[in-house]
Amino acid sequence: MIKQLIRPYLYCCVFLSFNAASKDYRIVLKDHLFYPAEIVVPANKKVRLLIENQDSTPEEFDSFDLNREKVLYPKRKSVIYIGPLIPGRYEFFGEFSPNTARGAVIVTEKERSNANN
Amino acid sequence: MLITSLVMSLNQLLPVAILLILLQVVAKQSLMKLLGGLILGIGLSFLFVKSAPLMSPLFDYQGLEYAQIGLCILIFISALYYAIKQATAAFMIAIISVMTLYLSHYIIYLIGFWQSNEAAQSLFIGTFLGLGICSSFSVLLYFLLSAIKQRFGLTPLLVLLALNSAAKLVVALDLASQIDLIATTVTVWDLRDILTENSEFGRVLRALIGYEATPNLTSLLSYVLSSVLFLSACYFIPKSITKEKS
Repeated sequence: MIKQLIRPYLYCCVFLSFNAASKDYRIVLKDHLFYPAEIVVPANKKVRLLIENQDSTPEEFDSFDLNREKVLYPKRKSVIYIGPLIPGRYEFFGEFSPNTARGAVIVTEKERSNANN
Repeated sequence: MLITSLVMSLNQLLPVAILLILLQVVAKQSLMKLLGGLILGIGLSFLFVKSAPLMSPLFDYQGLEYAQIGLCILIFISALYYAIKQATAAFMIAIISVMTLYLSHYIIYLIGFWQSNEAAQSLFIGTFLGLGICSSFSVLLYFLLSAIKQRFGLTPLLVLLALNSAAKLVVALDLASQIDLIATTVTVWDLRDILTENSEFGRVLRALIGYEATPNLTSLLSYVLSSVLFLSACYFIPKSITKEKS
């Protein structure tokens, strides 16, 4: 009886963990610019943004649209989870260099993946 | 760089100034205690910045978020305790926590760009202007809130303090969903066409009552519930204490 109850739970956990970790989107900050400046992510799915600050100065990833804010230390990687989101354009910027470090997350129904794995 | 420094300083100083003014108008603290809180807050902000690289890799690179979530919760609890008991310790904890939460970002910015000779002057002027604007705003807010208190009593101030403190819990929730600690729920409404958070008025509203143009359901419910909880505690706890004493 217990086995019967545990098995679907375990399957569910394994499925969810694979599902959650399936998509990484890598963004690089170099010379106060985000590369790529636009990333396309699928609608209604949680995604993981891996942001690498290759500059020698700190930056702050900021987005009013996504309600996200995180300091990016120089020469380090940071992780931010976003979503699930409805289709649309969600802008983000570097608060320390807002004129140059700008980008957007474009959420679409159709998956035009620029995910890393 | 000058404009960025000015905007950055305003963004980080306004939430500190607003909470400070709100607490001061609810129950006045002496100048010495106020200065003590500010000096301790600046000191702890520097300490937070210095320890940030050590905290950052903790808990699977989520250490900083956990620390910031802790600070947000501390601000809510201490502001609530201060509203009920007017204890100096609660005032100090609230001020020091809010300074550590917001000023640390600005200190990282200052330290990061200070070494550049071209940037130093802009940083200094931007910070100076930001401090000036923030001080002027604080003085005006102080007299406005004092006049409101004199005319309508403490209730409007407590409502404002409740909304301001509840907004800190929403910040904590955003940080928790940022590190995948809680799930993000659907966006309830989108007011970006009416008032964006990065407009001048949007920024002031954000610092004052935690305005969000695109709030999600969890944030909205938490905001409403924690505001109600704050106000209920302010209303019922002093009454029960008075009853016990009599």
